[in-house]
Amino acid sequence: MYKRTTDENLKRILFLGSGETDFGMQGENDAAIYQVLPILKSQGYRLFFVDDNPYSLALESSEAETIVATLTVQSIKSIIKEKQIDAVFPGFAGLRGLRLWHQVIAEWREEDGARPVGLGISDKTLDLLNDSTALFETLSAAGLAMPEATIVRSQSEANELLRDLELPLLVRAHNPAQGTTRRIVRRLDDFEEAVNQVLSQSLTKEAVISKAINGLKEVSLLVLRDKAGNCLQVGASEDMDPIGIHTADSLSVAPILTISDQIVQEMRAQAFLVADILNVQGPVHVQLALNERTGQLYIIKVSPYLDQLSNRMALMTGYPVMLVAAQLATGRRIMDVELPADSYHEKTAMMEPVMDHIVVKLPVFSFGDLKASGIHVNRQLNSIQKSVGSALGFGRTFIEAMEKAIRAAHFNNRSFSPKYMKNVSDDEMIQQLIHPHDNRVLLLLEALRRGYEVDELAELTKIDEFYFYQLKQLLVTEERILDSGPSHEQLAEAKQSGLSDGLLARFWNSNLQNIRTLAKEAGVIPTYKALEPSAGEFPENAHQFFATFEEENESVAVSNHTILLVGSGAFRMGDGAAAGYVTSVALSELRKLGYHTVIMNNNAADASLLPHLSDKQYLEPLETSDVMAVVDQEKPEAILVPGNRRKLIASLLALGQRVIVLPKEKHQPFGPEADESEFALNLFYDGQRAYPLVLTQHQAGEIRLVDQDISGTDLAGIHLDHSGVYQLIWRKKGLNWVKHVDLPDFSVDSWLRPMPFGQIAFLSKLLKISLIRLVVRSWKGGLTENDLGALVAHMPDLRGSDFAMVSDRTDFHLHLQPDAPIDSTRFEMGAKIVRLQED
Amino acid sequence: MANKIVLDQASMQRALTRITYEILEHNKGGQNLILVGVKTRGEYLAHRIADRLEQLEGVQIPVMAIDISDYRDDRLGQHTKLGLDEDDRVNIIDQNIVLVDDVLFTGRTTRAALDALIQIGRPKTISLAVLIDRGHRELPIRADFVGKNIPTAQNEKIQVHVKEIDGTDEVEIVH
Amino acid sequence: MERHLILEDGTVFSGEGFGAPATTFGEVIFDTATSGYQETITNPIYDGQMIVFAMPVVGADGIHAEAYESISPKIRGMIVHDLAEVSTNRQRRMNLDRFLKQYNIPGLYQVDTRKLIRHLRETGSQKATIVDVVDDHARDQLQATVLTNKQVQNTATDKAYSNPGRGFHIIVIDFGLKNGILRVLGDYDANVTVLPYTTSVDEVLTLDPDGIILSTGPGNPEDLPESVLTLIRVLQSKVPMLGIGLGHELFALANHSALTVLPAEYHGMNHPIQEIISQEIFYARQGRGYVVDPEMLDSKRLFVTHRDLVDQSIQGLRHRDFPAFSVQFFPDGAPGPLEAKRVFADFFETVVDYVQKNN
Repeated sequence: MYKRTTDENLKRILFLGSGETDFGMQGENDAAIYQVLPILKSQGYRLFFVDDNPYSLALESSEAETIVATLTVQSIKSIIKEKQIDAVFPGFAGLRGLRLWHQVIAEWREEDGARPVGLGISDKTLDLLNDSTALFETLSAAGLAMPEATIVRSQSEANELLRDLELPLLVRAHNPAQGTTRRIVRRLDDFEEAVNQVLSQSLTKEAVISKAINGLKEVSLLVLRDKAGNCLQVGASEDMDPIGIHTADSLSVAPILTISDQIVQEMRAQAFLVADILNVQGPVHVQLALNERTGQLYIIKVSPYLDQLSNRMALMTGYPVMLVAAQLATGRRIMDVELPADSYHEKTAMMEPVMDHIVVKLPVFSFGDLKASGIHVNRQLNSIQKSVGSALGFGRTFIEAMEKAIRAAHFNNRSFSPKYMKNVSDDEMIQQLIHPHDNRVLLLLEALRRGYEVDELAELTKIDEFYFYQLKQLLVTEERILDSGPSHEQLAEAKQSGLSDGLLARFWNSNLQNIRTLAKEAGVIPTYKALEPSAGEFPENAHQFFATFEEENESVAVSNHTILLVGSGAFRMGDGAAAGYVTSVALSELRKLGYHTVIMNNNAADASLLPHLSDKQYLEPLETSDVMAVVDQEKPEAILVPGNRRKLIASLLALGQRVIVLPKEKHQPFGPEADESEFALNLFYDGQRAYPLVLTQHQAGEIRLVDQDISGTDLAGIHLDHSGVYQLIWRKKGLNWVKHVDLPDFSVDSWLRPMPFGQIAFLSKLLKISLIRLVVRSWKGGLTENDLGALVAHMPDLRGSDFAMVSDRTDFHLHLQPDAPIDSTRFEMGAKIVRLQED
Repeated sequence: MANKIVLDQASMQRALTRITYEILEHNKGGQNLILVGVKTRGEYLAHRIADRLEQLEGVQIPVMAIDISDYRDDRLGQHTKLGLDEDDRVNIIDQNIVLVDDVLFTGRTTRAALDALIQIGRPKTISLAVLIDRGHRELPIRADFVGKNIPTAQNEKIQVHVKEIDGTDEVEIVH
Repeated sequence: MERHLILEDGTVFSGEGFGAPATTFGEVIFDTATSGYQETITNPIYDGQMIVFAMPVVGADGIHAEAYESISPKIRGMIVHDLAEVSTNRQRRMNLDRFLKQYNIPGLYQVDTRKLIRHLRETGSQKATIVDVVDDHARDQLQATVLTNKQVQNTATDKAYSNPGRGFHIIVIDFGLKNGILRVLGDYDANVTVLPYTTSVDEVLTLDPDGIILSTGPGNPEDLPESVLTLIRVLQSKVPMLGIGLGHELFALANHSALTVLPAEYHGMNHPIQEIISQEIFYARQGRGYVVDPEMLDSKRLFVTHRDLVDQSIQGLRHRDFPAFSVQFFPDGAPGPLEAKRVFADFFETVVDYVQKNN
């Protein structure tokens, strides 16, 4: 087989997309690809990108030739041939990308001609990743410890193992169809069901059974390795929760605080060794378990591809992980990587980033929203991911970072009322301390309030004592605030602990405005610290900031022609993953229109935080007090807020701010019932008039365009507060996909709603018109003749489409075990564009 | 029994680095120095050492390759062919030659190489650098620069792998 | 209690006091490493210095028996943003606060350390004092204080002692030795003799060493007596030698090269160090106020083996004629990346070679 050996021949590179978003995949891959396309293009590569994710931002990039196609071996092979691809870049598409590329390699035939090379990862390593026995043996041979594991192919083989192994056991699928499922079996009764479940999830019908190592400390390291074998550690984070709780569901902290340097260095050495063994050119995420009593380390997972940790580390450290990783994959050494000179110190790529701030990642669960819809799920946290997203809190102390993460994750401080946990009985409390639920931190606080001792709690929860000392300190602060009433000193202390004005207003029976006034009197105003990877050693032209309350403010207002965008925060169920797309496109268009842009957000997987999309990024919670603090700092002309943030919009208006609303419903709408179809007349409202776009038909989990000309529909009666994309909705019994539907009397038989963000992203791709760009352009007082011309002239051609959007692929049962079916429209986790078969 | 890796990639690199430093120590700044690699793997090792010298001193040291398969005194046949490639011939008169080989064992290979070299001209000095010295000498020959001493049994075999032809850099004992 | 750090340039930084309530004077520097605070404050190289930590939370790992780099800390002050009260010591419930109290060292926390570091980056390492009250008296005291240049005398042993092992006989010349070096020598089962830097050539050679290590240490190497350089010049021609940190600086001086003073010292572990011969990069703990001046390097005697790729500073030297070499960074990994330990592997290979050739 022909293989290229020199990089000069790599001219045409195909990036694989990662497909639909899901538990554990929230768009970080797409954001990464979108970010690296420009720099690779400037280095002379011809770029191609294929994906079927309707929310993809990268599919709308002008830096690559983008292709909407289902991610199958067949389609990738034909793209490779048609576009004469020299190299395929699978590592920015997560495990799915590696799997797909591995399959393409396996199914490549002589007659297919020259096979492109894979960038970043060798064929041999792909084989190894697909064979966990071989991987185990290879890592063991290098002296790395892993929990011993056995592969079984049947229930009876599994039962055999029970003779030798004591519970608890970890049962997981070998070569799982998607992601890794891990179940910890504590009771014999659960063993059979667990084995059955993972056998069915395994592509090879095999289960891996190993001794569970619950209770150990879990740590994640991210390292980068280049072709020459040079390794660099980007960073490490520790989970507050011990092993046994999925790392995505754990509160995690960076940098590592509670582990000694000797062990930190040993972990680093092991991670470098793993990177070497896997011969990676790019990122490797290594998860380790630490037995603090013995100092024993176990490797528990190796991920030699870009995953959520990469994006998170990039945001947490200010080190451009993705820009570096992409160049390493194309064969550059770490010291030869190029970075945009306007944002980074010239040596940034080769210096290991150091953090002079603390970042807490807090998982976000959708249990409450589901409960509101009458769906109950298993809330006990275990080794299967239940969180749907996460938010980051940045601060200079753990408490400040944690409080800000809590506020970022929840938009409000309801949960932090000291009364919140009063109803938990002592028995329940002990149960939940041992078997934690999603309200973990609150429960720990309540336990401390009830007088549990630190060592007792550390023993019950296997959480490091450090965290309990910290929480105790928070309780003391909270009590002082409650006892003292409003004062300058208490306000300062509260703000240093990350508490919001809103919470203080409630503690002191006051209101937001009074607290703000008090703060200004007392001079308690945020000082923004630059987030940059040298910890102050070098001047870096940083664009990322977070608030704290110290002496020096490093942020200087961008300009007097600035728009502030309030991002969407953590992903939730519903079209959370599409929000990043919408905000990012809006940022890009605002810049084209000559505005300076400032974004506030706290979600590392969200493309809107990419450094090149805006002039400045504030990594902050999104409550009124946080937004107003940034407003005081930047004095923006207007603030752009998603329409679902109604309270925030009202507060900002009340404080005299100019707010631009990006229309969005408070909740994602429910999908149609199982026996009915929903129809939508999609329309564009430019602030003055409504223009019909296309007609869509929706069924549970699927949306198609109707092949019907509606360009003549009279929408003159529609007048709305905000320009945007909307839908006139009506429903009908029946599940036939229709070619024509009679339009109802819109004044009576339909209702109007903002188009959900996911559908905006989908339609923009099918219509080849960026609807959000049009919305942004219309804010300046309606669309120009040019835009209107394009919009109107284009529509009749776009009635039908070969593509549908499907959103029913999420395995809710695996993650949440709901007691009733989950509406995949209302609680959408991700969607896929599929090509319809010819009937 | 399985083969045992006695030198991994990193250790092998370090051994070559150390040999290079020592060659420099004994040949002031690499002046009048010529590296002669004993084919096949010794040639690659000689190039590696030359690359290292270039990184350090910015000088290009000539590298020659010598094929002594016809020169071994324990083989039958005439010394009909010079072991040096015609193209590679450099005037070695009054030069400091470092002979580079992968493994030093009985010493017969080295001796053959010395014979071959002396046939072409009269170098000022000849010294010997080997990656592995495994003992069991049959001739009074001693290496000046040794990457690693690995005591072996007579019946064992040492295999040196180099990236250029074997894909990996490592040394293993084959039983 | 609120306490203050006054810098020589007049700037004041305030915070809460911890550790001892003492008033001290020292040279203030900053450290960007995010792990290893206990190793750092007990490293004798910091004798007479006050350390500002970029790591925002310090103390969360307590105080451990295995993390001492010397028996007692010699720093004059510790400035951090947030102090954690975690005790790990089984006998004494020792935490960072109590530890500093025990050794009469003051600390400051709740300081805007990022502002302080950015200030030091621009104005350079300088004299400072930690006080209760900022007044003319305190400022005058600071201006009048002359910091000691006897740090090596303060920290290095004045008596020979041994740390026996069954392997090669390694002599360590002590200029303020850190435990990490002894630990690594222990890993090689070396039979170690630690000697004062005032030892004579004869005394050293009588002990018949297989290798010699010039240890790390505090302060300005030019404050040491000329006899040290003579000692190095003679020994390097006889026995394999490795200089580390201050030992590297002395090795350079002994070989007719000169040093320059860094305006802002570098203390951290995130700069790439390139081994020139192989082009490989790795990372190591660094702590330096002086570096070898590349313009003043005697290239007839020495050549450069390692560089810091960030500031191009010389990080490693080797003698042209002898198996003697040195590194500016700390290869013992206490604290710091373990990949730097390769330097010891090189040293011991050289020792093996020397022993084989001279038996």
